[in-house]
Amino acid sequence: MTSIGTGYDLSNSVFSPDGRNFQVEYATKAVENGGTSIGIRCKDGVVLAVEKLVTSKLLKPGANKRIATVDRNVGIAFSGLIPDGRHFVSRARDEASSWRDTYKQPIPVSSLADRMGSYVQAYTLYNSVRPFGITAIIGGWDSEQDLPVDGQVGSGPKTGTGGKVAGTKSGGPGLYMIEPSGLYWGYYGAATGKGRQAAKAELEKLDLASGSLSLHEGVKEAARIIHVAHDDNKDKEFELEMTWVSSLDGPTKGRHEFVPEKLLVEAERLAKRYMEGDEDEEEDENMES
Amino acid sequence: MFRNNYDNDSVTFSPQGRIFQVEYAQEALKQGSVVVGIVSKTHAVLAAVKRNAEDLSSYQKKIVGIDTHLGVAIAGLSSDGRVLLNFMKQQSLSSRLTYGRAIPIERIVSLIGDRAQTNTQHYGKRPYGVGLLVCGVDESGPHLFEFTPSGMTQEMLACAIGGRSQMARTYLERHLDVFAGCSREELIKHALQALKESLSQDKDLTVENTSIGIVGWGGPDGAKGQPFKLFDGSEVAPLLAASGEGETAQDEMDVDT
Amino acid sequence: MNHFPHGWGRPRDDIYGPYDHTYLSHSQSSGPNQHTQQPAVTGTSVLAAKFKDGVVIAADNLASYGSLARFTDVKRLHKFGEHAILGIGGDVSDMQYISRILNELDIDENYGSTGNTLNAKNLHTYLSKVMYARRTKINPLWNAILVAGLDGVGRPFLSSVDLLGTTFSSPTLATGYGSYLAQPLLRKLAETEDEVANVTREKAEKAVREALKVLFYRDARSLDRFSIAVVTKQGIELMEDEQLEGQSWAFADRIKGYGTQVN
Repeated sequence: MTSIGTGYDLSNSVFSPDGRNFQVEYATKAVENGGTSIGIRCKDGVVLAVEKLVTSKLLKPGANKRIATVDRNVGIAFSGLIPDGRHFVSRARDEASSWRDTYKQPIPVSSLADRMGSYVQAYTLYNSVRPFGITAIIGGWDSEQDLPVDGQVGSGPKTGTGGKVAGTKSGGPGLYMIEPSGLYWGYYGAATGKGRQAAKAELEKLDLASGSLSLHEGVKEAARIIHVAHDDNKDKEFELEMTWVSSLDGPTKGRHEFVPEKLLVEAERLAKRYMEGDEDEEEDENMES
Repeated sequence: MFRNNYDNDSVTFSPQGRIFQVEYAQEALKQGSVVVGIVSKTHAVLAAVKRNAEDLSSYQKKIVGIDTHLGVAIAGLSSDGRVLLNFMKQQSLSSRLTYGRAIPIERIVSLIGDRAQTNTQHYGKRPYGVGLLVCGVDESGPHLFEFTPSGMTQEMLACAIGGRSQMARTYLERHLDVFAGCSREELIKHALQALKESLSQDKDLTVENTSIGIVGWGGPDGAKGQPFKLFDGSEVAPLLAASGEGETAQDEMDVDT
Repeated sequence: MNHFPHGWGRPRDDIYGPYDHTYLSHSQSSGPNQHTQQPAVTGTSVLAAKFKDGVVIAADNLASYGSLARFTDVKRLHKFGEHAILGIGGDVSDMQYISRILNELDIDENYGSTGNTLNAKNLHTYLSKVMYARRTKINPLWNAILVAGLDGVGRPFLSSVDLLGTTFSSPTLATGYGSYLAQPLLRKLAETEDEVANVTREKAEKAVREALKVLFYRDARSLDRFSIAVVTKQGIELMEDEQLEGQSWAFADRIKGYGTQVN
């Protein structure tokens, strides 16, 4: 960053002569100092996981959740400035609510990502605000079935198709990552925060694009990857926090929830064993929750 | 005048991704005197050292009841604190009015967190120069939260903020394991002990300068709960005595709510 | 002499000219601003009764458009959380609006780490504020609502709120036509709160089903298909496609308008 000190980096919404917005880049630095967050898009659901650095012994263990739910079927994990993340989540909930007001349906994950992308981008446009110091991972499940509209009280005509077309496929998993610039992409596997490089390397090994990884495998991989990503700054303690959302016939019935204690403990046990170099383990104990 | 170019306002990131104005605001709480909070399985307690501007002036309020199930201790700019406290009182009352329900502690804390965050992202605003310890009970039990000017809120088992609070934190960390099982009296004793650790050599806890707030959980249905009670002035005396003299003043402890 | 009191005290038209309505910005030609004056598609009575461990609540599955039986599969009982359910009579679109705000409320509540902790009593308080706020805007939600479930300490709870924001509680409750026909019958079950302790679930459920039958006999805007729910500590048991059993229309052929007779 040779342009530091030239004055173009002192205010948001200002371009430098070579076309950069430094304040947005600095906001990204805040993200890179935060604990790692990842998301994995599996064939039958999405897993989110964060490395929650324990900054004080006095913190209540297991409290202070970092992954938030939006509506019922979407989760948001983020790295960076936590209060900014909470603001982001609060806005996402407002977006989901206003979507329901208009369409009487839950917001599709792609639309939520789009709206939040626009919101974050707006904070790069004015010198009266600063950009968000977070990168957020939005993961969710759009219902694969025709949901009743909100407030529906009957089931419609008993004969005919009622306008429905048989055999159409819709819904499925969605995973998006939004950066401080407002830029967002859809992902098979997303990682941000301090350990993102290591996490990305691990995610790339999983061949997620083939769509073969199951949600249960995804949970274990996510736990392992967070442990791998943490390796570089072993000195600090951390808590692993994981959430998932499955298809309607899956374990969470289309809802975004915390991974059940039993599965979390098991996934973490396997992750720790992996970290100890015991890589040739076969997971015989098939943990289905 | 400024330490660098990046610390003029709260809408400028430094090249390292820090927001200096927010960090400076966190320093403001160290100007205030120390406050301590601890939770057990049944109670949440706050304790604070009050200061007076001069010998003839009154002592600054450090602990305030927000509602019957909820109280707050302040460290830092108390006028900023008052704004947040008024907001909390309104929100708490509004919950009772609309739902007939005492507002869950986690929820009211996140409301002030969100409010404080806004002050760190918009030009022309400044971060609040105050830190709070919020303690209260709701359906899920007793809770203690720390609030800082950045808008960060965290649930704690025990916490101390304000000037010279590091000594108190060290005390709390050392005794962390016993707090969960503490009785109301033991909890008060620990809170006062932690306060003492933070006092400068020439000072002591007195009836004038000590405040204690305590609230008891009544189980999921709230049947046996003890409403938030603030001990100030002469009411503090028996609590101080019990804490200072150990077991001897036990019978004076029966100053129940 | 103008004998209508509303005309008194006003400027005389023969001196000042008639009142110039164009000054009313809302209503240059159509008079004062108006909101809903009457419901459109409606549901009829909702019945409920407390028993020692919980509450039974029921409503039929009909939505009428005037005297037309417009929709016959309309579910008028709405669950809220684990231990609360409400039955709604009156305007169906307003009912759907209420259902949507409660869905939104449930979503918001679940954002907290303890989930939706609003009980039936909280829900009733909330709804009473919503209903009263709307009536104060002279734009009421045209409904009569019964809220059934458990209160904060796990006791059976039953209370009503209507389009005016009026609230009322009793061991048994009925809205609409049911307040005339069913409520006197249900009172036999338990007239005072003390008597609720002697009422079993079976007795309460039977009384509510019988009352629904009486209503079907006499209320021309009712149906013999209905929903019934029982709320106890164990949760909500909701049955949505029940049929009235043991009907006897033997009395009816002596009544004008029954069957195919024309005179």
